Amino acid sequence: MHEVSTALHTAEVVHWISLVVMAIVYTLKIRWLTSFTLAKDRSMPGNPTQSDKKRGARYSLFNVAMPWSMESTRKPKGFIFYLSFVIFHLGVVAGITLAFVSTIAPDFLRIPVVGWTMIVFLVAAFIVALYRIGRRVLRPLMKLISTPDDYFSLVMLTIWFGLGACTQAYLMGIWGMTSENLLIAYLYLTSFFLLYVPFSKISHYLYYPFTRTYIGRALGQRGSYPVVRG
Amino acid sequence: MMEEQLAKKLNRQVVGSLVGCVHCGMCDESCHYVLAFPDDHKMTPSYKADQLRKLFKANHDWTGKTFPWWVGADKVPLTDDDLETLKDIAFGTCTNCRRCTLSCPMGVDTATLNRIMRGLLAHVGVMPEGVRVVSKDQWELGNQMGVLKEDYLDTLEWMSEELEEDLGHDEATIPVEKKGANVMYCINPREVKYDPRTIKEAALIFWAAGEDWTMPEEGWDNTNFGLFSGDDQLGGACAKREYEKARELGVDKIVISECGHGFRSTRFEGVNWAAETEPVPMETSVQTMLDYIKEGKIKVDPTKNPERMTFHDSCNNARSGGFFEEPRELLKLVSMDFQEMYPNRAENYCCTGGGGAMSMSEYTPRRLESAKIKADQIRATGAKVVVTSCHNCVDGLNDLIKHYKLDCEVKQLVNLVANALIIEEPEKIPDELKPGDLEVKKVAEKEPLAGRKILVVDDEEDVRAFLTMVFEDAGAEVETATDGDEALAKAREYQPDLISLDLSMPGKDGVEAFVELRSDPATEEIPVCVVTGHPEFRQVIYDRPVPPPEGYLGKPVDEDKLVAYAHHIVEHRKEKAN
Repeated sequence: MHEVSTALHTAEVVHWISLVVMAIVYTLKIRWLTSFTLAKDRSMPGNPTQSDKKRGARYSLFNVAMPWSMESTRKPKGFIFYLSFVIFHLGVVAGITLAFVSTIAPDFLRIPVVGWTMIVFLVAAFIVALYRIGRRVLRPLMKLISTPDDYFSLVMLTIWFGLGACTQAYLMGIWGMTSENLLIAYLYLTSFFLLYVPFSKISHYLYYPFTRTYIGRALGQRGSYPVVRG
Repeated sequence: MMEEQLAKKLNRQVVGSLVGCVHCGMCDESCHYVLAFPDDHKMTPSYKADQLRKLFKANHDWTGKTFPWWVGADKVPLTDDDLETLKDIAFGTCTNCRRCTLSCPMGVDTATLNRIMRGLLAHVGVMPEGVRVVSKDQWELGNQMGVLKEDYLDTLEWMSEELEEDLGHDEATIPVEKKGANVMYCINPREVKYDPRTIKEAALIFWAAGEDWTMPEEGWDNTNFGLFSGDDQLGGACAKREYEKARELGVDKIVISECGHGFRSTRFEGVNWAAETEPVPMETSVQTMLDYIKEGKIKVDPTKNPERMTFHDSCNNARSGGFFEEPRELLKLVSMDFQEMYPNRAENYCCTGGGGAMSMSEYTPRRLESAKIKADQIRATGAKVVVTSCHNCVDGLNDLIKHYKLDCEVKQLVNLVANALIIEEPEKIPDELKPGDLEVKKVAEKEPLAGRKILVVDDEEDVRAFLTMVFEDAGAEVETATDGDEALAKAREYQPDLISLDLSMPGKDGVEAFVELRSDPATEEIPVCVVTGHPEFRQVIYDRPVPPPEGYLGKPVDEDKLVAYAHHIVEHRKEKAN
């Protein structure tokens, strides 16, 4: 067990409570989604040689790891955006890891290779997040389709990545970061996210397996998924 | 009202697509409208889908109900202006081609959302006039072009007669309402109204294959405007007509002629809309023709189709039907020079005539502009013939070929298979041939319009000269007029057997002239065949409160087709008079 100050302990408790609340809200959200009827395709498979619902669903679900599978991520411009997507989401994984591991086993994060990996991911994600803010604010198309929630979520995540990088530096004792308040602030910010995320667009990852599976099954049944190109 | 209707249309897949969008903008460049109008960001698929999303969030999403402005759910209730804007977006800037769906990292099915929006608008009576008229015809007359049963049967008879003439015997007659046949062949009303040769060609292929087939008296329309208007009830009703007729006739399967949305609605969506538990076996005629060749039932000679050809995938066949290898296989069997178009198959671009766009003439200029990417795709192949398995695509591609001045024409696989067909049956010679019979027949075939008077109305001199030459070569006596006023005067004085009428002319245009011709007792009975460079005006003329024209052909017009149409119209008139 690591020794913690009262302020840090309180932040950790708030963080874990927030996690429980998020889990409850997410459970309710999944219940809400599944309360709608699952439409069944009664038609016969579209093409006997190609139709396969399960294969379509698998292909669809894992297309996140196959940038060549979609035109939007295959083209050079799209591929750059895909890379930024990968970096951004690796940053999210690093940030979540930091929040939990720092309260359970902070020494693990002090192992140089682990610590520096975390910092690289968080800083890279911070830079990508800045680029994404610019993209959303400056591109007329993105301005047109963005809601206050889109801007707010992105800005808060950018701050979270930045604060996360500083917190990791504090845990490693580098860059002159010595104040425990960084970790406390980071945990409170994470707690805020845990409570806010279920009500915002950030909860898209909750829906991802559903939407991808549905479209994958639908197009797999017809025979147009996996996409065949000639 | 729309909110209640929306609640009925929600299922788990739809809700997933409504909540899944992260507004990343990745769908942007997958849309042909975006590519044509890069500065108009309202063309982006996510913006279009957001129109439905706003309604959904305001009514079904906790955050949207509590903090609507925060998640963009602040647009209800809707005003009349809002509804008009939504109509323009849902019907005029999206052909429901589903291409953006394949480019969405989240798997959001934007085309389905747009179709739902169309359905909500149609439910409150807000839709393009063309969609309203066509839907009404499909509800009331059982087919989307308002073809009367007698006209449908008459066309089948006409095509049977032509086949008899072509083959020299009556064994290839089109069977109607035959019980217990193997195949029930369903077609697009466009074939009856504008391109009956495809029916003849299909009949020829069925005959050559020795198929036991029939066409139904009712439930023959494989098209389904429910797919375009978002009206699932109409969709179910249309599909059910075919399924029930197939069961009544006791056929083994329905074969759907080359119609992209007809195939999708009959083969797939209709089964769901009509809640079929045991769907009738169904297949596209492309599959049928391919099987005939593979099974040796028909033989083809690919050298009959020597031109360079490319294939355009119909969105409904390819993206929503998984049907893209078979047409290519068939095309390669019946032609000599196939050139692939890029991108293709499920990633192909829409012809821009899909989603019912051909019936919405108010959006034609925008549609043609959005077709630039398709025109570029075709041009890059260097093909002289664009082959497609969809009637909407035929019309959409013909429009864009004309608009972008491409040096090619559009054909369907049925045209190519029929052309390449090797007929081994010897021509039968009548038992009792009287002297002079052959000569009379030759003259009749050569001059099918002999003794007929035709008035050609067109403001373009070269078109007038061309039409005059074609009709005169077919034996007709031709008079010409250059505008609507002159046409009216000459029609009254000359009393022709047929008027070939252009629509776009200076002074009194063809539409006005047509209405006056139909309203004047002296000319109301004269048959009119519209020959126009604006096939998209079709709806304009059919919406007039007078009987529709007897024929409607788009320029450039095929000589044989023109003569065949003219011959049929005047002969039909004679039969009616008798």
